Amino acid sequence: MDIRIYEREYMKTNKLRFIVFLLMFSLVAVACGGDTADDAAEAPDTTEAPKETLAAPATTAPPPEVIVVWAEEKVAEALNPLVGAYEAAAGVDVEVVAYDFGAIRTDVQTAGPAGEGPDVFLGAHDWVGELAANGVVSPLDLGSVASDIFEVGVTAFSYAGEVYGFPYATEAIAMYYNADLVDSVPTTWEEAKAACDAAGTEFCVGTPSNDAYHNHPFVASAGGYVFASEGGFDASDVGLDNAGAIASAEFLDGLVKNGTVTNTDYGGAMSNFQEGRALFWMTGPWARNDASAVNYGVGLIPQFDGNPATPFVGVRGAMVSSFSEKQVLAQSFILDFFATVEVQQAMYESDPRLPATKSLFAIVEAADPIAAQFAASASNGIPMPNIPEMGSVWGPMADALNVIRTQAYGTNEETGVTISNASDAVKLAAEQIRNAIAGG
Amino acid sequence: MIYLSMTLSKILRYIFLAVFNALIVYAFPLTLAYESWFFLSLIIVIGLLVNFVYFTEKFQPMKWILPGMIFMLSFVVFPAVYNTFVSFTNWSTGHILTKTQAISVLEDRVYTPENQKGIEFDIYILQDIDLSFYYVAYLNDQNILFGKAVSDDEIFSSSLATHEPSLFNNGEFVTPDGFTLLTGKEQIANSSSLQELSLVIDKNTRAQLYKISVFGASTGRLSSTSQLYKYDDVNDTLINNATNTVCPVVKDNFECEGKEIEPGWRVFVGGENYRKLFSSQRIRGPLNVVAKWTFQFALLSVLLSFAVGLFLSMILNKNGLRFQRIYRAIFILPYAIPAFVSALVWKGLLNPDYGLINSWLGPIYELVDAEPIKWLTTKESARTAVLLVNTWLGFPYMFLITTGALQSIPRELIEAAKVDGASGLQSFWRITFPLLMVSISPLLIGSFAFNFNNFTLIFLLSGGGPPIVGSDVSVGWTDILISFTYKLAISGGRGNLFGLASSVTIIIFALVLIISAISFRYTKRLERVYGNI
Repeated sequence: MDIRIYEREYMKTNKLRFIVFLLMFSLVAVACGGDTADDAAEAPDTTEAPKETLAAPATTAPPPEVIVVWAEEKVAEALNPLVGAYEAAAGVDVEVVAYDFGAIRTDVQTAGPAGEGPDVFLGAHDWVGELAANGVVSPLDLGSVASDIFEVGVTAFSYAGEVYGFPYATEAIAMYYNADLVDSVPTTWEEAKAACDAAGTEFCVGTPSNDAYHNHPFVASAGGYVFASEGGFDASDVGLDNAGAIASAEFLDGLVKNGTVTNTDYGGAMSNFQEGRALFWMTGPWARNDASAVNYGVGLIPQFDGNPATPFVGVRGAMVSSFSEKQVLAQSFILDFFATVEVQQAMYESDPRLPATKSLFAIVEAADPIAAQFAASASNGIPMPNIPEMGSVWGPMADALNVIRTQAYGTNEETGVTISNASDAVKLAAEQIRNAIAGG
Repeated sequence: MIYLSMTLSKILRYIFLAVFNALIVYAFPLTLAYESWFFLSLIIVIGLLVNFVYFTEKFQPMKWILPGMIFMLSFVVFPAVYNTFVSFTNWSTGHILTKTQAISVLEDRVYTPENQKGIEFDIYILQDIDLSFYYVAYLNDQNILFGKAVSDDEIFSSSLATHEPSLFNNGEFVTPDGFTLLTGKEQIANSSSLQELSLVIDKNTRAQLYKISVFGASTGRLSSTSQLYKYDDVNDTLINNATNTVCPVVKDNFECEGKEIEPGWRVFVGGENYRKLFSSQRIRGPLNVVAKWTFQFALLSVLLSFAVGLFLSMILNKNGLRFQRIYRAIFILPYAIPAFVSALVWKGLLNPDYGLINSWLGPIYELVDAEPIKWLTTKESARTAVLLVNTWLGFPYMFLITTGALQSIPRELIEAAKVDGASGLQSFWRITFPLLMVSISPLLIGSFAFNFNNFTLIFLLSGGGPPIVGSDVSVGWTDILISFTYKLAISGGRGNLFGLASSVTIIIFALVLIISAISFRYTKRLERVYGNI
């Protein structure tokens, strides 16, 4: 009985519900209709839109173009107060998004194709190969700005015959020294060891063990190389086991054996230097704040057999996303605003890396002799290879260096392979890299 | 009263549905715009389902289940299915776009013949009464070119630019009658249109804007009238206009004269990733070592942390123990610190040369006249260290759950055993432990599955090292399957090999699934035996 009444009521309310539903749906559709109409106005097929607005300039100004820039936090902080001038002059909105540096690399590749990415993004030169291979970065015509940029910066951003970024900062490692204990960095490793013995510090030179970046001078200073770099890096020519590379690996082995360099990681090398337990610290300009725990100076890394040490040079630059719909505007923004010396200087002050442009270097050199030392070290270096195959290099190279740095020679019970000296280690690393590249 | 509250709930429900439907309707054109048919169908299905369930009274239980089901579908099932899908594709560096996107990127490329490279000149932009754009390109005094700026479609039908020296008077630009000169701001406001236009200089050459300057004249450059690549959709080939070559499709790239043109695109490759995994000697060799160690690591981690946790909770479970809470709080501390912080701290502590562990152990080394342990640098020391740290990280959890479980075991049972003459050890192994296992073993299985994929610890503590010397790929003694996958596919190859990485994770998933299934079956038996007590 009760149930039947309920059912009858139910039928009635059901109809009511349906009407309510329809009503709400139409309301919602109307509410959203406004949005879709806006979308249509922004659709690319209406090239007439700006013309119409030009025809009646007094009533409707076109919405300003928006340039979205992804930059790491420190750089974003420096850019934000400056973009106002460009915004006013150009009548555009510049939206600088503070982004996690490493995430920029991955996110431009996902957000770009999805139509969400930035117009301009700031990144490292060694991303270029991957980004260009994936088709997410546009070539950048540096035009007349090119003459102001150090050669190494342009080389670093070149990939397959095109330049993909405007370099704004470089970095390379050099050698910090404890200025209370020693006057300068000696020119040879033997003298460096002697200086440590004289100063009586517990450790001599600190630099992380299994890090191919910091150890590159130990591999490449006497003629070794990761990839041959005649006109773009060549993944089929690995030079980590040539005569020069073997000689410098054996030289490193000697340095480990006589205690000049010891097994440590980045944090360890840093604290040893800060506590005065190590006389030297091989690392880059980013560590200047950390090094200032002691009275420090910076010099070139000691030579190998009369060859200057060749650190890896990292370069940072501004790039244009190939999925940006404002290619010319984005490029204009980089060349007309970002590349100006005022902006470059502001970024340098916020995040002191080495200048990539000659005009900024002239300013920095006079004011900051330590930066000049780093720049001198970078000028001996080579850019880190920017081809995607570099991914196959870091692991094996770090492993080989780790074996040398920890003196972990011996026979492997699983593989039966014996590594009895430094030369075996780099030969094996080169073999692994070739295999990895061939095996894709 | 009841009626009133019912209407309130109804109002709330309708508000919720209105918002929900608004979102659905909002998402509709978005999915259409991005042409993601999968999401479109998903939205339709979910939208219909939700409206159907909440507007009718027919599916009373579904009202409770549906939200959970939707979340499960979107956060558990969808990623798993997607991962499986990716494992059957070639998704990797150089192949992340769709074919359409890759072609459009390639077709956007222009080229400049070698002898015209680096030529830069001022461009003045004019607009006539019909609002069409005209360019004046000041190449040099002999070439002051004026003409209508045309889009790529009109480029071959457009008339050529003409030399108009009259536009300059003593080097000053004179705007011709009937035209307006665009200011920098106006150029930028129109930049989206302008970047598509070019001034045709001759049959092969055009001038394009490359920089819009707000501070002076804008700049242009020369390029070929034909784009670098043209896609021929009849033959599915790419034509390189610079070299006049036809580039056929080879698997997932165009190939010009044997050279791959980047970017390529994503294709379905079937089981190729799996085949590579099992047939490539380079990968298979280390995979054996790594798989064996992964099982050891996960099993030992669970056993050790469980043993320590249980031991401590037994000790602290005594009634009337003083400072019981303080002890418990202390033991839970490692659990409160994020694992990645602990891993990094331990890495520093374990450094063989200046780490705290070795300096504390120093006197002992001297006492037994032994070499200091080279933590993390040899196979045995690294594996021991990883296990020790993981035990340290894991025991508080075990301590927590066993403390809870112990308190739920009726005291009478133990007392009864005592009356029957069982020793403390006997009552523990025969009564407490089996009862404990009934409630704890599912958690142990969960812990095993977690440690099986404990990437954070391995990556941060040892980085997988020390290297297995002599293997064909870069792999370390403490690498577990998931960190090996990372080295193989993300950090160690030619860029990112997402397809390959996904196929390894599918295999890991299968392994964990099998182990968990077997363990759960075993647990059920435990429950049958001891559950009724």
